[in-house]
Amino acid sequence: MNETRLSTFQWTTLVTLRMLVGWHFLYEGVAKLLKGNWSAYGFLMESKWIFAEYFHALAGNATVLSVVNTMNIWGLILIGLGLIMGLFTRIAAGGGILLILLYYVCNPPFVGLFYSIPMEGHYLFVNKNLVELGALLVLIAIPSQQVAGLDRILYKLIKK
Amino acid sequence: MNEEEKSKSPGRAIDRRDFLQGLAGVPVIGAFALAALKQESFRRASRARQAAATAGGEAPAELRIALLGVGAQGSVLLNSMLKIPGLRFQAVCDIWTEYNLKRAGNLLKKYGHEAALYHDYREMLDKEKGLDAVVIATPDFWHADHTIACLQAGLHVYCEKEMSNTLEGARRMVQAARESGKLLQIGHQRRSNPRYIFCRDTLLQELQLIGRPVTAFGQWNRSAAPDLGWPKKYEIPADQLRRYGYDSMAQFCNWRWYKKLGGGPIVDLGSHQIDIFSWFLGANPKSVQASGGTDYYDKSTHEWYDTVLATYEYETPAGLVRAHYKTQTTNGSLGYFEQFMGDQGTLVISESAGMGLVYREKANAPSWDEWVRKGYLTEPKLIEVKAESESDSLDVRETISPDEHRIALQFNDPYHKPHLENFFSAVRGKGKLNCPAEVGYESAVAVLKVNEAVEARKTLDFSPEEFKI
Ligand SMILES: NC(=O)c1ccc[n+]([C@@H]2O[C@H](COP(=O)([O-])OP(=O)(O)OC[C@H]3O[C@@H](n4cnc5c(N)ncnc54)[C@H](O)[C@@H]3O)[C@@H](O)[C@H]2O)c1
Repeated sequence: MNETRLSTFQWTTLVTLRMLVGWHFLYEGVAKLLKGNWSAYGFLMESKWIFAEYFHALAGNATVLSVVNTMNIWGLILIGLGLIMGLFTRIAAGGGILLILLYYVCNPPFVGLFYSIPMEGHYLFVNKNLVELGALLVLIAIPSQQVAGLDRILYKLIKK
Repeated sequence: MNEEEKSKSPGRAIDRRDFLQGLAGVPVIGAFALAALKQESFRRASRARQAAATAGGEAPAELRIALLGVGAQGSVLLNSMLKIPGLRFQAVCDIWTEYNLKRAGNLLKKYGHEAALYHDYREMLDKEKGLDAVVIATPDFWHADHTIACLQAGLHVYCEKEMSNTLEGARRMVQAARESGKLLQIGHQRRSNPRYIFCRDTLLQELQLIGRPVTAFGQWNRSAAPDLGWPKKYEIPADQLRRYGYDSMAQFCNWRWYKKLGGGPIVDLGSHQIDIFSWFLGANPKSVQASGGTDYYDKSTHEWYDTVLATYEYETPAGLVRAHYKTQTTNGSLGYFEQFMGDQGTLVISESAGMGLVYREKANAPSWDEWVRKGYLTEPKLIEVKAESESDSLDVRETISPDEHRIALQFNDPYHKPHLENFFSAVRGKGKLNCPAEVGYESAVAVLKVNEAVEARKTLDFSPEEFKI
């Protein structure tokens, strides 16, 4: 970090990126929560690739499925809040990467796999999930939370 | 500007700048909360509008239900109904008291329903007061008597298909429904299946996806199977069987194959799919020719035909459509489905396994991209026509293979649940029956004539009056 300094503009774009990803995570969680009866069932049952059996098993067991649903909803909400507020940002970004990886391997856009859940774009290997994952990697690599975010204050408090 | 250094030098007191930048997320959260609340209240309002349009308001009072006939299909219906809220099972009637009746009673007990058990339907109707509706799943030749007695006792009736094994019985049922003013729904459950409704209303009618329909095809193939048996210790005494119209235990279990009791596979299986022909094509048939016979099984225990091929002509609003139906009970390959072909595309649908496919006829059809974008259909899967060998290169005149799309709409509930729900909603005064007596009757007219045509060995015409009652 020392040899290249980032300009205010560069920091601002990074912080903006973090807010955008955070907003998306947060609303994915909040929308599912408000829906009341949201379930990952359909998504898991669509699973195609080598882990399909494992995802189908998750969907097949009612108790496990309800745990999966709750963890997914609250995971999304906490990650979203963390990214927007810049609080425990690295943990939030890491968690986000983990979730996205799970979504990705559950229904990957590989050659020859077709899904009956309608998708709103065209993807081959790279889908929007993967792009978001890339964004989170950037956010882990460059600590924008030390410029704007609660972590900045936390960091000072600890270092005192 | 050197943000990094400022923020990174530890040990400094938290200043105004730290504070402001530390809380940079707060306005974003504020904006988020505002937007999410707006969105949520919008969603609630539109849901409430929808609910008000389909429902009458307060929570439904419990309906009191009786079951009449709880064999194979009666159990399937019961299991679906146990998933529908607002039903109280008050009575069950079945003449196989030691077996099916007991089993149903025990299942209901497990779900907290204390139902009274009866072997005779007249006794049940006599003793049980305050029933709202009955669900009938007895063998076809009992449907008319059972349905009429229940309607006259003031109950709304859900009666399994085939409406009756005779047109005379079916006619009496329609009349009894009209006279009693009670509802009579016939169990052609595909009429309430959201996938079928989507195909008919949206794909065929609204989008005219297949263009001008020309032919239809339906089949139900079943593997060869031995006659149904029964546990010897639960045998029903002969005099009891005779009282209810059966000569033997074997006949009681395999009633479908006997001329006075059922209608054979064409009525048992074909009735579902021939009903789809009429429903999707928007017309009743004008003629039918058929070939069939008991070719495989023992004729003395299989009076009705184990194999039937029938061809109908339909005069539809769009023009003449020829529809072929096949059922055989010796080889189950390719199962069951219905198929409609027009000059712009083909629709293949089945109740089974969520199958729903459409093929675009590339030569004549407009682009379907918009329907894919709107989420009606999945992305097309290209079906390649491969040349067999180098020398065998593709002839330019060879038909181009069509794109295959799947119907995006999914339906994961038990098959019969929406049809039962439609019935109970109508009983509560919300909405209309999807298969009222008159529709069941039209379907019976179309189907029962196949057996006549097999016997007559010639084309039989329908007059439009035959479908009226
Ligand atoms: N909609 C569908 O998908 C579907 C599927 C299968 C059957 N069915 C229909 O359901 C009905 C029943 O078929 P099933 O396969 O369950 O037959 P089944 O032989 O398994 O069951 C019939 C039941 O009715 C009882 N019964 C017979 N006569 C009676 C009487 N007089 N009074 C009271 N109970 C009597 C029998 O004891 C038995 O329990 C038929 O009309 C059939 O066409 C519909």
